[in-house]
Amino acid sequence: MTETGAGFRVGVDVGGTFTDMILADGAGGALRVAKSPSVPSAPADGFFGGMDRILARSGVAPEAIDAVLHGSTVATNAILEGKVARTGLVTTAGFRHVLEIGRAEIPREANLFSWVKPRRPVRARHIFEVPGRIRLDGSEAVPLDEGALRGIGDAISAARLDAVAVVLLHSYANPRHERRVGEVLRGLLPEVEIALSVDVLPVFREYERTVATTLNASVQPVVGHYIGRLAEGLARREIRAPLFIMKSNGGTCPPDEAARGAVHLALSGPAAGARGAAWLGRLAGMDDLLGIDMGGTSADVSLVRDGEPARTTAGKLGEHPLALPIIDIHTIGAGGGSVATVNAQGSIRVGPESAGADPGPACYAKGGTRATVSDANLVLGRIPPHLLDGEVALDGTAAERAVRTGVAEPLGIGTVAAARGIVDLVNANMTGALKVMSVERGLDPREFALAAFGGAGPAHGADLMRSLGAGRLLVPRYPGILCAIGLLTADLRYDFAVTRLQRADAYDPTATEAIFAELTDRANRRLEADGVPPESREFQRAADLRYAKQGVELTVPVTAGGPVAEAALATLVADFHSLHERLYTFADPGAPVEIVNLRVEAVGATGTLVLPEIPAASKRRPEPAGERPASLDGNGAATPRATPVYRREALLAGHVIEGPAIVDQLDSTVVILPGQSALTDRHANLVVTEGTP
Amino acid sequence: MTPRSDSAPDRFTLELIKGALNAARAEMEALVARTAMSPFIREKKDYFTAFLNPKGELVVSTSLTLAGNLVDAILDEYPAQTMRAGDLYWYNDCYGTRGAVSHLPDMAFVMPVFHEGRLIAFAEAWGHLWDVGGSVPGSISPFATSVFQEGIMIPPVRVMREGVENEEVVRILTRNSRFPDMLRGDLKAIMAACRLGVRRLTETVERHGVDAVEAAFEAMITETEQALRARIADRIPDGEHAFRDRIDSDAVTDRSYFVDTVLRKTNGSLEIDFSASDRQAQGPINFVMDDSVPKFMLGLWMCMEQPGIGMNGGFERAVETVTTRPGTLVAPRFPAPLGLRSHTMIRVTTSLFGAIAQATGGKASAAPSVYVLYYLRGRNADGSEPLCIEGLSVGFGARTFADGIDAVYYVAQENYPIEFAEMEFGVEIEAFRIHRDSGGAGRWRGGCGIVRDVRVLSDEAVIGMRIDNCRQPAFGVNGGMSGRPGRVVVNPDGPDPRELATMSDGNRLCKGDLVRIVTPGGGGWGAPVDRPADDVLSDVLDGFVSEAAAARDYGVVLAGDEVDQAATEASRAAMARPGKMFHRGGYYDAPDDRLDSGAGA
Repeated sequence: MTETGAGFRVGVDVGGTFTDMILADGAGGALRVAKSPSVPSAPADGFFGGMDRILARSGVAPEAIDAVLHGSTVATNAILEGKVARTGLVTTAGFRHVLEIGRAEIPREANLFSWVKPRRPVRARHIFEVPGRIRLDGSEAVPLDEGALRGIGDAISAARLDAVAVVLLHSYANPRHERRVGEVLRGLLPEVEIALSVDVLPVFREYERTVATTLNASVQPVVGHYIGRLAEGLARREIRAPLFIMKSNGGTCPPDEAARGAVHLALSGPAAGARGAAWLGRLAGMDDLLGIDMGGTSADVSLVRDGEPARTTAGKLGEHPLALPIIDIHTIGAGGGSVATVNAQGSIRVGPESAGADPGPACYAKGGTRATVSDANLVLGRIPPHLLDGEVALDGTAAERAVRTGVAEPLGIGTVAAARGIVDLVNANMTGALKVMSVERGLDPREFALAAFGGAGPAHGADLMRSLGAGRLLVPRYPGILCAIGLLTADLRYDFAVTRLQRADAYDPTATEAIFAELTDRANRRLEADGVPPESREFQRAADLRYAKQGVELTVPVTAGGPVAEAALATLVADFHSLHERLYTFADPGAPVEIVNLRVEAVGATGTLVLPEIPAASKRRPEPAGERPASLDGNGAATPRATPVYRREALLAGHVIEGPAIVDQLDSTVVILPGQSALTDRHANLVVTEGTP
Repeated sequence: MTPRSDSAPDRFTLELIKGALNAARAEMEALVARTAMSPFIREKKDYFTAFLNPKGELVVSTSLTLAGNLVDAILDEYPAQTMRAGDLYWYNDCYGTRGAVSHLPDMAFVMPVFHEGRLIAFAEAWGHLWDVGGSVPGSISPFATSVFQEGIMIPPVRVMREGVENEEVVRILTRNSRFPDMLRGDLKAIMAACRLGVRRLTETVERHGVDAVEAAFEAMITETEQALRARIADRIPDGEHAFRDRIDSDAVTDRSYFVDTVLRKTNGSLEIDFSASDRQAQGPINFVMDDSVPKFMLGLWMCMEQPGIGMNGGFERAVETVTTRPGTLVAPRFPAPLGLRSHTMIRVTTSLFGAIAQATGGKASAAPSVYVLYYLRGRNADGSEPLCIEGLSVGFGARTFADGIDAVYYVAQENYPIEFAEMEFGVEIEAFRIHRDSGGAGRWRGGCGIVRDVRVLSDEAVIGMRIDNCRQPAFGVNGGMSGRPGRVVVNPDGPDPRELATMSDGNRLCKGDLVRIVTPGGGGWGAPVDRPADDVLSDVLDGFVSEAAAARDYGVVLAGDEVDQAATEASRAAMARPGKMFHRGGYYDAPDDRLDSGAGA
């Protein structure tokens, strides 16, 4: 394991368009950031492009690097674009169509006449049934027909499948059949990647478990190949530091684990962003935070409570349910590149369609002609007429033309009013997403701070804070690299779970303790293998509970220390009632409560980052660097008027800017509305509040 | 109310108000989902929220075609000028509200919204409650012969006056439920959702001004109206377009019932006429149908590809007249039972599709099947009585642009995982698969139903079944063939298989019996010979279509895992092209069916 304090740690966040790098030593003495283009067709090239760039710029020698941390969209893109291995599935006889049938529902927001069922990760023709049946309690009803496996092996070869998932009914209760199928198939088919559901998601509900396991199998070869490329490239550069990859649960894992549990990488990037927001929020004294990461095509909303990103086991990836423990993220199609359209009836929409990076907004002058959010921001003067401090000039005329012809003329209104409208609509969409993450989860956004990041977030954060009524707005010094910061501050994190149903009248503390001990033991061995010293290991026990007959469980931490005894289970149940009350506004203390799943979360404390402090300001008000005509708020004053512009790097700790004002920086622009003020803190974050601080 | 449009808001303000109303409605739903107690609401997601204008027209709502005219019956009892801010009105009386809700477990709440003393809107929410009294737990019984057996009836009453709850009314209701605490919890949740709706609407008014909000209401309704009017003008020619569809049975008598639909367009104005529908049933399939229901179905189908066109009063305005005749299946006389009204509600959809097909030369969806439920009540020697009520999915109808949805229940309602059902219901599920060949053959294939093998583990049990589309399978359109029926067999692979009636109750079972429930598929669309042979091959490989059916229905001959091109061409060339619009068992034209009493089953 790395020693902190001496060597450097590198975070490389490969996004769809850009790769962000951060380099830091453990003492906070050096912090460098850089940005380079991603290479979607060859993601490893993008990774090393960024790596080489930041090493060259910083002059840090390969041997001085202690750890490489990586957020990747390889698994995400492979799944969303269907560019995955040819995958098969072996399942219990009689259940070939479980995946096809799914949960049998049309989504609530859909028109039932036009909805089309999404394609499953595996076609039924590649699903093979094996006789043998384990019961609910783990006992064997029908022995496994090993003879049939040989025929299945032949069929898998004949179908030229590269990966196979094995999901047998009730395997979480007794994995013997499933493991045996895996063993036999590995013997028969050494070239084929095999994923067992008991390794990927050993909890009940066969459809969700099958989706997770088949997705895992289908991206295993993709991720395995990618990690191989990374290992080669690091070796070639003589970087011997260990590599850690960000998982959807907000923790990292080493490459072998990433390749085996490839589906756990599905939300690698956004999870890093939420992790970064949580860390930065804690540093700024904001433990309850809503995060909005607005990029070119989409905005990711996350929720931080008590300094930790909220997690869920009911997430989605595209149309697939993802029942793994992941950071709770709500994504909408709202970004700088979101396109504004007007239909025949005069209805206006902004997004989800995006001009992306190519051709991009009209102002990029790369052939885009349709009006985007960035174009509207430019017309209003909210963003400067260039990016990256003049390295890239923006075409104001093209932006004006796009907004005028695309929106203003069809509606018969002025161009500035149209631009204002586009910004208002995209803000309304994001406000809605922030409310889904707070109000619809029973939380009052007024009790939260808002963190706005991503390249486009800081230009919209002030509007969003105001419409939500959030108390404060946090704009990080480097809003574009919060994901990379999340990488450096993340710990190794593993989730182990198993289903073991205990009815209300039959809790079994002894068996519960035995399962917890077994899970902890596995977790311990995993962290041992990662080289985490014992004093840096933490284990949190939890259980999923529900009222009898309920179809949804709540995860409740086990708070009592030491081995589980009756009292600990009583506390657990009491905690369940209060959590139910808090989340759902009622509890039913008289109703029987069932314990369904047992979980152990293992953390190897490895994350570390010390942000450098900036000098204190000698006076309260900084000098603006200049001014430009801008229209910041829509309250009747749509006409751009002279607005002071500040340089972010010139701001010192204690500086207060009163709105209306704009702060330009290399990779982003911060808007401060009339009536708001922005305080620069000692880590160079901007903290925006209504009124004067 | 006088329109006040002196300062019409700009398009952006309209969009912002629209967005705010949609978000507020979603928030109301989320509150119901989060705070209601009964499984029907929490897990089956059986609830609805809406905003309405002072005339009672829907402005934004859930896209479920069950909504009726939610406000008129309240206004009859409590004229608008007597209403005050903070009032809350409540009912579940299907007859008394002329179908605002259509069976008793659905409890509706409506709250007026005022601005400076003037009524500007209503916020509304309803949910399906677990038990509202009646002859059986859960209130709904296939054997009901009167609405009095199906629960307590609440006519429109004021349950809250200026924010003060009339607790006596609530006590009367909860005393009539087998699960009073759960009921009280659900009522609290739904009432809270209404209050939230009022609050959010008031905030929107404060932000944008009352004129802008009222103009936005009208703009949203007008936009929907214009979209549907344009479609009707475009696609439905003047004249009469008729169709009749049949329900297997009403569970109480052993006869089928029909829903008859005539689309009648005269000088551009449209009437939907159900007056030739069958007389009301003795059993509980009667449907007190509000005029809005068929209008919403028509609108959702005809405007489905237009993003941003919401289901609201605009659909109602675009269709001039809906005609029904008292004493029929869709306008039953009090106190005919209503519990299984979804059987008729879905046949209203399908007969409307049939009439649209007549009007448009087949540009309508083929028929979906009606979702399936079974009630397995076990009894063990130790006195325990495990109860298993499962909803099962069916096949939906093929569309003009896509296959029918395979294995689906209805909007937003999920099935039980096998590993959950085995934990909770005292059964073992031994197979769960696609009902092969149940989707009607066609250019677009009908959705397939499913097969669920349920092993009885309790010492003894009784099973009740409700499966429609067994005698009258979902019809195919424009050359597409009908879906195949469902069935229920006990011990199908044993020496003595026993077939059960598909609409029945009281069937006795013993420990170890295996019940195979086979659900029906949806109708196909377009001639099967026009389906690309590779798609047929795919269906065979994936278990949706048998090799025999590929050859017989589609003329596709397979050689191993590939299409035998030459044999397929020869076979398809020899197949007669269907010349008639509909198919159920055999091809037929709808008017024939209306004259005699039905095509072959």
